[in-house]
Amino acid sequence: MRPGLYVRSLIRESRGSGGRLAFFVLCLSVGVAAVVAVAGLATSLDRTIRGEARQLLAADVAVSGWRATPPALDALLDGEAGLQRTELRQLTTVVAAPALPDGRPGPTQLVQLKAVGDTYPFYGSLRLDPDVPLRELLGEDGVVVAPELLRRLQLEVGATLLIGGQPFHIAGRVLAEPDRLDTGLSLGPRAFVSLAGLARTGLLGFGSRVYSRVLLRLPDAASTDAAAALAARIRDALPDAEFYEVETHTDAQPALRAGLRRAERFLALVALLSLVVGAIGVAETVRSWLAGRLDSIAVLRCLGLRPREVVTLYVGQTLLLALVGSAIGSVAGLCLIAAVPRISGGLVPAVAVSLWQPGAVARGLAVGTGIALLFALPPLAACRRVSPLRVIRRDVEPLPPSRLVRGLTLAVLGAGTLAIAVVQARSFAFGAGFAGALAVVAAVLALAAWLLARVVGTLARRVSAVRLRHGLASLARPGADTLSSIVALGLGTLVVLGMYLVEGQLARSLAAELPDDAPSSFFIDIQPDQWEGVRGILESEGASALRSVPIVNARLRTIDGRSVEELAAQTEGDDRRRRWTLTREQNLTYLAELPEGNQVVEGRWWADPSRAEVSIEREFAQGLGVSVGSTIDLDVQGVIVPLSVTSLRQVDWRSFRPNFFLVVEPGVLEAAPQQRVAAARFPDGGDERVEARLAASYPNVVPIRIREVLAKVAGVLAQIGQGVRLLGGFTLLSGLAILAGAVGASSVRRGREVALLKTIGMTRRDVALVFALEYALVGLVAGLIGAAGGGALAWFVVTRGMELEWLAEATPFVAAVVLAVALAVGCGLLASLRALSRRPIEVLRSE
Amino acid sequence: MDDVDLAVQAGEFVAILGPSGSGKSTLLALMAGLDRPTSGEVRLDGRPIQSLSEDALALLRRHGIGFVFQSFQLLPNLTALENVLLPLELVGADTPRRRAEELLLAVGLSERGHHYPAQLSGGEQQRVAVARAFAARPAILFADEPTGNLDHATGTMILDLLARLRRDEGTTLVLVTHDPAVAALADRRIHLRDGRVERVE
Repeated sequence: MRPGLYVRSLIRESRGSGGRLAFFVLCLSVGVAAVVAVAGLATSLDRTIRGEARQLLAADVAVSGWRATPPALDALLDGEAGLQRTELRQLTTVVAAPALPDGRPGPTQLVQLKAVGDTYPFYGSLRLDPDVPLRELLGEDGVVVAPELLRRLQLEVGATLLIGGQPFHIAGRVLAEPDRLDTGLSLGPRAFVSLAGLARTGLLGFGSRVYSRVLLRLPDAASTDAAAALAARIRDALPDAEFYEVETHTDAQPALRAGLRRAERFLALVALLSLVVGAIGVAETVRSWLAGRLDSIAVLRCLGLRPREVVTLYVGQTLLLALVGSAIGSVAGLCLIAAVPRISGGLVPAVAVSLWQPGAVARGLAVGTGIALLFALPPLAACRRVSPLRVIRRDVEPLPPSRLVRGLTLAVLGAGTLAIAVVQARSFAFGAGFAGALAVVAAVLALAAWLLARVVGTLARRVSAVRLRHGLASLARPGADTLSSIVALGLGTLVVLGMYLVEGQLARSLAAELPDDAPSSFFIDIQPDQWEGVRGILESEGASALRSVPIVNARLRTIDGRSVEELAAQTEGDDRRRRWTLTREQNLTYLAELPEGNQVVEGRWWADPSRAEVSIEREFAQGLGVSVGSTIDLDVQGVIVPLSVTSLRQVDWRSFRPNFFLVVEPGVLEAAPQQRVAAARFPDGGDERVEARLAASYPNVVPIRIREVLAKVAGVLAQIGQGVRLLGGFTLLSGLAILAGAVGASSVRRGREVALLKTIGMTRRDVALVFALEYALVGLVAGLIGAAGGGALAWFVVTRGMELEWLAEATPFVAAVVLAVALAVGCGLLASLRALSRRPIEVLRSE
Repeated sequence: MDDVDLAVQAGEFVAILGPSGSGKSTLLALMAGLDRPTSGEVRLDGRPIQSLSEDALALLRRHGIGFVFQSFQLLPNLTALENVLLPLELVGADTPRRRAEELLLAVGLSERGHHYPAQLSGGEQQRVAVARAFAARPAILFADEPTGNLDHATGTMILDLLARLRRDEGTTLVLVTHDPAVAALADRRIHLRDGRVERVE
């Protein structure tokens, strides 16, 4: 066939099947929209993080650490030509509103205090209200705060705020800062003061944990290599390099980006699942469309069209529709991206989202078209076998494809789906796992559908109730459309229920993991000489289950004689976590008694009087590669302390009591610089009163309210869950659309059936009941298997992926099955309306 | 089919007669290459066609054979004119549109070329089918009960059309019918019964 004729034929073929084409396009575009939205959003965010890396660092190079910057750094930096520097200090503290008129202390709030030099920030800009430079607002006694702080303390700009007991006047509000991606997870709203202002508070002298940061700006037009070179010089020059982090803007938030990639992988596979369900709809559409075209194909064959020309014609048609559907889906996906900042309630900032997404759109078009063609392949291959003889004998059905062709189509379908899954997951292992799991679930659903038809077919003959018998029989009828409906609806149920369960389990375990005797507040950074006074305050406010332990900061030096630097260098390329575990600053405590919630699983607790001993948490020990009998050297702020590992502990972290990976025998660390941490439970309102009294007397002590932190985490989880459920909803919608489509496609046959049943004396209600039973069974099987699969998926994610305990619950499962049945019946009956309303004579006459 | 030995000359008009189940349609399908014999031979222009591939048969039909069916078999999503055009487009005719319009004029439907089959009466549909069958100037035309779904007057008109166009184009015509009145127009009548040739007139 020549190209001109081919194109003309494509256009002619589209006539008169508007509804069917629309359904095809709808099925596909829903999934493609999900794919494009996920890919586009991830690209947007990654690009923002990389593109704004300078702003996110607010500098070319930054040196930060929990210690004051050493003189060696100053000496090095003074020697660098054209280099600008500014300092930041960050700490968590409690601020207070002034005392109330009746003399009671004002309300208090935990804040993230940031003291900045005059030239902060080097890159990016703060959004302030009023819009004047930060330096001018701050002066020595000004503070600029986040609107949230004003709301919580019920203060206005111009009021006074007590920081470390010293009055500051609130000079303005900060709406956005460049070097902070606000994800709503931080421990308190922001407050800015000047470095001079911070000095005035006296907080530095109290021994608060202060994070110091030196921001450096290279001369204009300096290259990124220059930044890397400077960073290298700094690393060489710093005396205790491991206590400082030296970042350049090219590092661009590696942890954040890795998290983003993991989230993208997960969401991309969920999106693919809804696309696969849509593709089942596409396959159904193509199948029923070709079934309606058998006569036309036979005529075309009579007119001299070769079999492969017939296949080419319909493959072309499918390709055209797939492109249209994918294009519409891509546009919808872009709209979804645009809506994300609003839907996510600030979790994703609007500036981070861009609608120029050629990569995501290309991915959507390729994946959508590819999967549509793959799934349409089996019915398309079948139309090759239409015999021209059909024009003379209507009953000549297309020959079933040969075993070879069927096997080949299945192989192509499997390999293609695998390839697309790998592309979506950007990882072979994950893609293969996904495709494998999908194949298993689909096979189980298909097997169940087949078994159902068999069982029901046998059963139908034994049931005496006439309507039930007909309902059962119509499900078991050869050529019934049950199979794909069950698979699609089952997958939809699986996704929605799975997502719902994961989210619910997370929320519930967050709530459930607070035992009745769990502390309601933590207090950190208590200096040893403050402890008696702090304890007095806590006890006078009715503290129960009060616990306090000393904390000593130290670093690992050697494990069994080998230095941690050497061990860290040996860890495989990407194992950041292990490297970090080895080189991070460790929090230790010393205790005489094994604390509650701890269990020695190997060795014995303080058994050897001859050596200094340490007890290590079991999994942490695994991470370090130590066992009972190992020796480690700790660097306790300059002093090397050799310790023998004599026991491994298992810790119940969910007790929310202060617990430690490393516990040292008493008598070793008493003289080391240390702080205390305390935890206690207070009666209602006690937490707030303690916070206010500590802010007045011990402003360096940081109180953390557990409920508030958990509520924050739960809030973020709920938002993420909402997004995932939206994707899951797409899948369910596609499943329902397929059921409706399958029922609609059989409307001619059903119409005839209705006519016959009516002729033999059934009322329309009777017939509707027969149909409803049929759909209910489809929904029931799909719901049961989908619920089982969804449960398995959620169980796996919760217990293996998140390592949480599974909390059994039955309601969602029952609800899922009931809902699947209800939706199947509703959708099915709606799609049968036309068949039900036809009068017998219309149908029988047209035979 | 059992022991059927039949030859049709170029330009001849042959009618195949017989009651339902006598094997008329099977014989037609075999002759037109729509079906393959389990044994025996079908030759077209002296060439055995039963062993040709599906593709070769398709090309044979495209270039040399026209069909008229009892149930019209127009493509429902093509207009009358497009139905007639399609065989011309397939063979790559030079001026397909002119030829198609001439044929529609010849069957008396030049005003209705833009109508879809569903908008035409049975007789009109069959006239379009006749025009389509002659479009690519096939050497042979097979007609399977062309008047079976039509009333007597319309049927007569269709037969007249077939006969006239056949004469004008010099086409060989093989017509299957159970109606002796229709068969009466043929040069030769072959009576079938139970898959055998009963007699030839």
